[in-house]
Amino acid sequence: MQADDLAGLATDERFRLLKARFRRLALTIVGAFLGWYFLYIALSAFARDFMALPAIGNVNVALLLGVLQFVSTFALAWRYTRYARRMLDPLSAELRDEAGQRQAERERERRILAERHRIENWTRR
Amino acid sequence: MTIGLFAVFIVITLGVTIWARVNTKGTDDFYAGGRTFSGAQNGLALAGDYMSAASFLGIAGIIALSGYDGFLYSIGFLVAWLLTLLLVELMRNAGRFTMADVLSYRGGRRPMVRTAAAVSTVTVSVFYLVAQMVGAGALVSLLLGIHPGETFMGISPEAAKVITILVVGMMMIFYVSYGGMKGTTWVQIIKAVLLMAGTTALTVLVLSRFGFNLSEMLGAADARSGRPGQFLNPGQRYAKDADGIVGKLDFVSLAVALVLGTAGLPHIVGRFFTVPDARAARTSVNWAIGLVGAFYLMTLALGFGATALVGQEAITAQDPSGNTAALQLARAVGESVAGPVGGEILLAFIGAVAFATILAVVSGLVLASSTSLAHDFFGHVLMFGKPKESQEVAVARFSAFVIGVFAVFLAVLVRDMNVAFLVALAFAMAASANLPAIVLSLFWRRFNSTGVVCGIYGGLLGSIVLVALSPVVSGGPRSLLPPPVDFQVFPLENPGLVSIPFAFLCAVAGTLLSREKADPGRYSELSVRALTGAGAHGQQAKNVGGAR
Repeated sequence: MQADDLAGLATDERFRLLKARFRRLALTIVGAFLGWYFLYIALSAFARDFMALPAIGNVNVALLLGVLQFVSTFALAWRYTRYARRMLDPLSAELRDEAGQRQAERERERRILAERHRIENWTRR
Repeated sequence: MTIGLFAVFIVITLGVTIWARVNTKGTDDFYAGGRTFSGAQNGLALAGDYMSAASFLGIAGIIALSGYDGFLYSIGFLVAWLLTLLLVELMRNAGRFTMADVLSYRGGRRPMVRTAAAVSTVTVSVFYLVAQMVGAGALVSLLLGIHPGETFMGISPEAAKVITILVVGMMMIFYVSYGGMKGTTWVQIIKAVLLMAGTTALTVLVLSRFGFNLSEMLGAADARSGRPGQFLNPGQRYAKDADGIVGKLDFVSLAVALVLGTAGLPHIVGRFFTVPDARAARTSVNWAIGLVGAFYLMTLALGFGATALVGQEAITAQDPSGNTAALQLARAVGESVAGPVGGEILLAFIGAVAFATILAVVSGLVLASSTSLAHDFFGHVLMFGKPKESQEVAVARFSAFVIGVFAVFLAVLVRDMNVAFLVALAFAMAASANLPAIVLSLFWRRFNSTGVVCGIYGGLLGSIVLVALSPVVSGGPRSLLPPPVDFQVFPLENPGLVSIPFAFLCAVAGTLLSREKADPGRYSELSVRALTGAGAHGQQAKNVGGAR
């Protein structure tokens, strides 16, 4: 793949959209899970009495929130995957195919030029 | 009997490795398993690479002895995968075999970037390797039931430890240098299936003892924990109230390293490239999240179950740090189901699973570091990026041997030390040295090769120096060096809280202070490639070639 082809795509409107969408998605997810995880860690370190409150039977708040960390991880992974499949994959596939086509065209041009060059050299002799 | 079951595992994996050898031809095969693994297969292998004996035996033990606090490890180890999920597609698209492929995109492919990446990969891997292998040595003496001073069929505990480390070392060298990524991946897949099957069986049996009532199990655990009423609350092990603010910061520091380290672990990153495309990479991380999540949830049942059914006293009598809790639980549960024979069978099975776990993880680590040595250091630094493929693969096989021997040597040397801190240190180093470089390479337009190098060395040295100056090494109650030696300056045992920001700082400062000009074209190229997958190495792009 030619470097110029890739760099050229960088200014494409659709690529900008793709990039903006990915950044927004990534920042939302990082913010959500790091925030929630560190809140949980902070509670474990500094809010011991609250964490020790009973929630369901012998299950206390600490254990309940811990299991919720698992639930939220699964939920965020699912959310990311669904969004990526709907909003990112079609765009990136389109751009990738175009880059591939441009690459193939360039390759064909190069072959034709090389062939012409060879024939010219041969006829000159 | 454990040995017998373990031998079966070894025979099967050897067969797979030899089959893989036949199908391994070039660098794509050796480093990336030909990029033919499906998302599900690679997901299993990721989980197999990740779930170490430290988490299987260690976390179950910590939960069994310290209750709730052990669960925090489980949570950190899982949540970290979300970060991996966000990075995996970009890395897969941009890289070829190693992290350095992505990093060297910025700033004219200078050899110093490759060297730094190789140094960091090998260092992190070796620290982690030594921890795992010493664990294997300790495990065997526990399994055979030999205590200091006793002998078992003429083997002293010391000899048993050394023999185990040697056998594990020989096996991992064989898997990696002979089978490459293909062989190693199948070892991981088999191990992951075994581990999941073993833990699930054990969990179901434990829960069935309490009529599948979690609350009842927790109550029973609390009663036999030796500190009823406290056992299920935070602060039994980490950040004890007596330790004050330093203890709490130390705890937060550990949590930071756990959650940020995973995405920078070399043996995890290397696995991003074994699938045909970014989408399969995403699928594989989703599989890993499902498996790892299920596994760490089950550590709750293993840990609390061990306290409830075996009792805290019996566990500490066997091993004061609790590493045998899961094994003792297996025996107790087996006995209650099928008498003494059942107990022995389940114990043997879980013991064999533990060995398979260790073996798989160390193989993944050796593979990651030999790949980096051969591809990054030999291929790009020594041979200026133009090595013969066959040459590079030969170097990779040889480096697997060298690193393996080196790790065995170190592990034998420190076999009697308490090296549990090495696992946390490896995570802290991965988070400090690798993560800042990866994230800034992908997202910061101005980043350049000086920044990469400063970030990697800053993070690596920062975390090592901080640990050397911490109570882990000297001046604390559980230090490696005996009391009169005391050069402790840094109060935290876990360096992450300081070393990760420090590494980011180094990377930014290195970039801004160097005279090297950032190349915006290279950045656009990298971001297009990372986000769209245009020109990525893989199945479709195989014939396009030259796309670096």
